[in-house]
Amino acid sequence: MLLAIMTLTVFLSALHGYRSSITEIQQLFDSELKHKARLLAITGNGHSAGAEVTDIPDQYAFQVWQDGEILQRSSNTPVTAISSLQEGYQDVNFGRYRWRSYTWIDPLRNRQAMAAERVDTRNMLAERVIMKSVMPVIVTLPVAGLLIWLIVGYGLAPLRNLAAHLRSRRAEDLRPIPESRQPLELRQVITSTNDLFARLEASFSRERRFASDAAHELRTPISALKVHLHNMSKNLPPDDHDLVQLKAAADRMGNLVEQILALHRTAPDQYMARFREVDLYQLVQQEIISSYSGFECHEIQLELNGTRTLMSGDRFALETLVKNLLDNACKYTPAGGRVHVAVAAGDGGILLQIEDSGPGVPEELHERIFDRFYRVGGDRHQSEVIGCGLGLSIVKHIADLHGASIELKHSSFESGLAVSVLFPVATTSRDK
Amino acid sequence: MQILLVEDDILLADGLRTALRREGFSVNHVATGKDALATLVTNQPDIVILDLGLPDMDGLGVLKQLRAGDKSPHVMILTARDATEDKVSGLDLGADDYLVKPFEMPELLARLRALERRTGVARDSVITNGRVNLDTLSHSVSVDDEQLDLPRREFMLLKALMENPGRVLSRESLEEKLYGWGEELSSNSIEVHIHHLRKKIRPDFIKTVRGVGYTVNKP
Repeated sequence: MLLAIMTLTVFLSALHGYRSSITEIQQLFDSELKHKARLLAITGNGHSAGAEVTDIPDQYAFQVWQDGEILQRSSNTPVTAISSLQEGYQDVNFGRYRWRSYTWIDPLRNRQAMAAERVDTRNMLAERVIMKSVMPVIVTLPVAGLLIWLIVGYGLAPLRNLAAHLRSRRAEDLRPIPESRQPLELRQVITSTNDLFARLEASFSRERRFASDAAHELRTPISALKVHLHNMSKNLPPDDHDLVQLKAAADRMGNLVEQILALHRTAPDQYMARFREVDLYQLVQQEIISSYSGFECHEIQLELNGTRTLMSGDRFALETLVKNLLDNACKYTPAGGRVHVAVAAGDGGILLQIEDSGPGVPEELHERIFDRFYRVGGDRHQSEVIGCGLGLSIVKHIADLHGASIELKHSSFESGLAVSVLFPVATTSRDK
Repeated sequence: MQILLVEDDILLADGLRTALRREGFSVNHVATGKDALATLVTNQPDIVILDLGLPDMDGLGVLKQLRAGDKSPHVMILTARDATEDKVSGLDLGADDYLVKPFEMPELLARLRALERRTGVARDSVITNGRVNLDTLSHSVSVDDEQLDLPRREFMLLKALMENPGRVLSRESLEEKLYGWGEELSSNSIEVHIHHLRKKIRPDFIKTVRGVGYTVNKP
């Protein structure tokens, strides 16, 4: 851009200079011609009328007239007058060339002196002079262009590096940009950008911390609520309606608080850095052990298939994922049903599959059940099932963190849902 | 059985005190770390239930000072902190158990019973589950009042399972327990012992959770 503008300016000024120089040189030549004509009139020899002068260069011509007769002429002019006998400049043709002529009238001797120069010669001379002055500009233009390009490029390199640095950042990366080894002019920009990053980070973390702190602080009062309910249940019949409803509400609130905590703890910026090698099979085994009481009271037959399977991931997040999927399978499978869990390493990656013999989820709702707070059937959901609609959105979130894909299918039982989570091979390593 | 409850949330402490007293524990409640340490000098509880987020000092600090003393009680940490690091540092400092809020009261009671048995002064050394009675002191087992003659390893396996009713114990953790008691094991011993136990007690008393381990249902 800069180069284009510069080339254009230089070219235009050269053109303008060329045209005004041409005019000036022509004027110079013209005034010289005038002097020649006057000189001829004064020095012209009056004795040999019609004398022919042969020893002057081809590009010049002259005639001197007196009293209507030719007094003297150069050999390249005809015997007739080469231009009108009026005083002044004229462009005329003779001897197969175009000439510039000047007629000067000498009133003293009653003479007309005409001096002429060939136009092509004048132009050639003028051009030669002008080119000599314009040429250096034209020749140095590319050199100057190259130099400017290099210098500007060098000067802008820090800005380009900064732009590349900002472009390569992840959206949630709000760490400050290093200020060292940056030119003074950029340091101002970087300082302001870093200030902005710091303020953003602070407000993001305030927002995140608020939800998770609030959830965390709720754990103790919920515990108190549950303990008092437990005490109350000792004095009431176990099927007391108010007590049963109160217990369900407390459980639901506890569940919601735990899910909100899990959701906030698995924010990408918290967990990306904590990927470790994890035995998924052992992790699933542990989670089954901790959530077994739910399956036991529903008399659900639970089964785990697989062997030691190592993968790279965040242990806490994966535990939450498995726990949520197990909880769902347990909640939605009727008493006496079956739940099959499988961990398998294949060419496509590591597959975690949880199948249940519950009612299943209609295919058209498969996408929606990952939305936050969405529950199949909405508020008309089987009321005895405690849930808040966050479980699967957390599962999806954690799967995304691990680059895993989730697939929902009809289970291999008569009815029910099969959830498959496929972790990519890149983050996995086979059993050693 | 004396319990010292260190908990700054009065509402929760009040509920716990009622619940624990009903179960026959004698409960002393304090709300700060300083009071807890002061009480421990004069009074020796059998079990301390310790909250970590105390107003004046961290519960882990209380645990550290308590463990520095010569005769120290069993400690159960009861806290809202559920990070793995917190659990590890709690157990490393000598806590016997770690339970995260919000908890279910039956779970807390079951764990307290397990600690109680470890103190060796349990009012009742007999674990009963349905028709099966297991006496942890006399190392005897009876089904429908009929004495069973169990080899050491089988008794220990049964005891581990009956101490954790409703919980699945993985084959690995059962193996570890037997190793811990100085037993030599071959690769399939657990399966063999479980098979024998089922034959002697009742085929469905010990359940298999395929791929995970074994469990005894809650009574």
